[in-house]
Amino acid sequence: MPTEIKSALPALVVIAPAAAAVLIFAIGRFTSWLKEALALAGSACALVASYEIGLAAFRGSALTSFGRQLYADSLSAVLVILISGIGLLSIVYALRYMRHQAAPGEAQHTTTPRRLAVFYGWLMLFLSTMLWACLSNNIIMLYVAVEASTITSGLLVAFYWDKRALEAGYKYLMLLTVGITFALFGCVLVYAAGAHVIGGARGLLLSDLRSVAGGFPVATVVLASAFLIVGFGTKAGLAPFHPWLPDAHAEAPTPVSALLSGVMLKVAIYALVRTVSMFYPGFAPISMFVLALGVFTLVIGDIMALAQDDLKRMLAYSSVSQMGYVLMGFGIGTPLGIYAGLFHLLNHALAKSLLFLATGAVTYSTGLRRISDLGGLAKKMPVTVFCFFAGALAIAGMPPFNGFQSKLALFIAGAHAGVWWAVILGLAGSLITLLVALKAAKSVFWGKPSAAVSAAAVKEAPATMTVVMVILALLCLGIGLYPKAVYRPLNAASAVVQTVTSGQPALEAPCPGALPVEAGTPSAAPPDTSTHVLPRR
Amino acid sequence: MSGVSAPLIHTLSLAMIITSFAAVEARNLRNATIAYLFQALLVTGLLAAYSVQNPALIFWAATALVTKAVLVPWFLWRATAGAEQETKPLINFGVSAVLLLALLATMFKLMHANAGLFIDVTGEFAALAQTNLAVAFTIFVLGIYAILTRRDAIKTVIGLCLLENGVHLSLVSLAPAIKETALAGIATEVVVTVYLLLYIIGGIREKFKTTDTFKLSELHW
Repeated sequence: MPTEIKSALPALVVIAPAAAAVLIFAIGRFTSWLKEALALAGSACALVASYEIGLAAFRGSALTSFGRQLYADSLSAVLVILISGIGLLSIVYALRYMRHQAAPGEAQHTTTPRRLAVFYGWLMLFLSTMLWACLSNNIIMLYVAVEASTITSGLLVAFYWDKRALEAGYKYLMLLTVGITFALFGCVLVYAAGAHVIGGARGLLLSDLRSVAGGFPVATVVLASAFLIVGFGTKAGLAPFHPWLPDAHAEAPTPVSALLSGVMLKVAIYALVRTVSMFYPGFAPISMFVLALGVFTLVIGDIMALAQDDLKRMLAYSSVSQMGYVLMGFGIGTPLGIYAGLFHLLNHALAKSLLFLATGAVTYSTGLRRISDLGGLAKKMPVTVFCFFAGALAIAGMPPFNGFQSKLALFIAGAHAGVWWAVILGLAGSLITLLVALKAAKSVFWGKPSAAVSAAAVKEAPATMTVVMVILALLCLGIGLYPKAVYRPLNAASAVVQTVTSGQPALEAPCPGALPVEAGTPSAAPPDTSTHVLPRR
Repeated sequence: MSGVSAPLIHTLSLAMIITSFAAVEARNLRNATIAYLFQALLVTGLLAAYSVQNPALIFWAATALVTKAVLVPWFLWRATAGAEQETKPLINFGVSAVLLLALLATMFKLMHANAGLFIDVTGEFAALAQTNLAVAFTIFVLGIYAILTRRDAIKTVIGLCLLENGVHLSLVSLAPAIKETALAGIATEVVVTVYLLLYIIGGIREKFKTTDTFKLSELHW
């Protein structure tokens, strides 16, 4: 158990973007730059505080606020750094992107300068609620925070207020609210069972529930797990609960799409892992079910992505698939599997945000987003081409990008656990992802330009947008070339999940995903394979 | 039973199921809203009745009164102005009524028999808790039924409200010691969700000239 330290930092991470949102709603519309400055300040403040939390958490401490209601261990720290980091980058990107949409004569939608204040206000609330979800130590408030992140992003999905956006917004709010209500039932069942053992007040705290969950009645565990998987799984876009996802991710403004696909899905996976993984030690079949659901999701997502002509919908279905890989890691349940799941969660967040932002740059410059309408952009948008390719190769799991490292770790973990069927389907899924991404990239950047593209004065996106994309692309490349850079935080984070599986703290040697050179060597294997949750086959 | 009136609880529970049924089946959306209002008042009444056993529930009852019995019906009433007739649902009244009655009877019996999966059925208040859980799950399923079978977007919102009421009612037995902050959070998010959904449905009515969800076909997989 980490050493608990009372700190204002977890509270600051949640409050800073929320305060920025309140100020934006109150005074943001009075000047053209104030709303943007407030959004930047709020998200930068959250990022700095998240980084400070990370420094403490990765050294073995857990920071708590509000009487342990907010609790930041290393798993939370990884998530809040990711959310606030990608949040800040998305806001920097949005500065030009959203202004362009609101400019007279340029608008493709009904965006107006006045509505931009609404956009930034909801965006900051969205960030705040996602951060809150990852820091909440109260199982009921975890549900409230996850649902709050749906509420705050609902109007962002419907922001353009045209037929498509309204349809997407309605489906998004309705399906996610119904789904997440199942999660509330699950949370309440866990709480009720926990309160029976350790009392009402402690029964609410995730940090305390983990230590007693192994003794819950089997029926309670099965029902609670089912409710939690349906509830948080809907939010995470797991098949078959994913139909809302392509609509919402495609119709939202691009900076929001990047956040929805890049981090919001991870918040839901985080909630799922925080709650369901506490049952792993005593109830091994649950991890097998999670693994099967992950593999099913990755297959469905990949197949659906193949059929898409809309670039953003293709990316959205690809997100469904990649969340399947993340879940596959947690389903394998071994130390390496959990590490690989977390590693892929991080890598997908970076790569998919990058891909959505690169697609946004194409839309910004051409006004188009259908693959069949685009073509011949390679010479006109070289930075965007590089960034799109970096993201595409990363999610396809190709070297030298980060996705290669996490998928390699995932497949080694699967092979080590003996789940060959999952490894084979995962590899096949990766090939489909590669095919989908390269086919789209070839059509968009090297295909024959359509009349619409030829007629438009297409040029590279502005610097504030390309800089953000380049940062993300370099991160994908950097982690791919030097995975050890993220080994320590991810290892500490996976230890949080592992402590409930076996009492074994973490991988004691650098894992294969972190050091591919050592992947095949005996020393790179997890130290004690007897800790596997899945029975070895 | 230290002051908890079992006949009162049973009467309120039965009335709740009847009003939930009316909220789902009424074709006039304003009548459905009124039925929902009565259902919400009954939720408040039930929570108040259970508060004799657990005084902390009085806060929950007050919150439910404001959010479920005042704000949500008010939002629904405003949203149905000028468009009171529900889009014809997938299943007509006769079949729907039979299906619902069968569903209600099954859920009620099932939950009453298996309440031990969720709570200690040997305690002093076990009988009341069993009734509470049976009613809660029945209304939860009724809400899902409404969302799945109704084509009108506003009716699906009423279904969502029923679903939420079912879950919230179950907290009486499953999470009696839950903190006020958590209860306030749960109640607030429902109100805000309903408000935003109805706001978006207003936009849908404006752009699509209908609230028939079957006509929302701009986005295909």
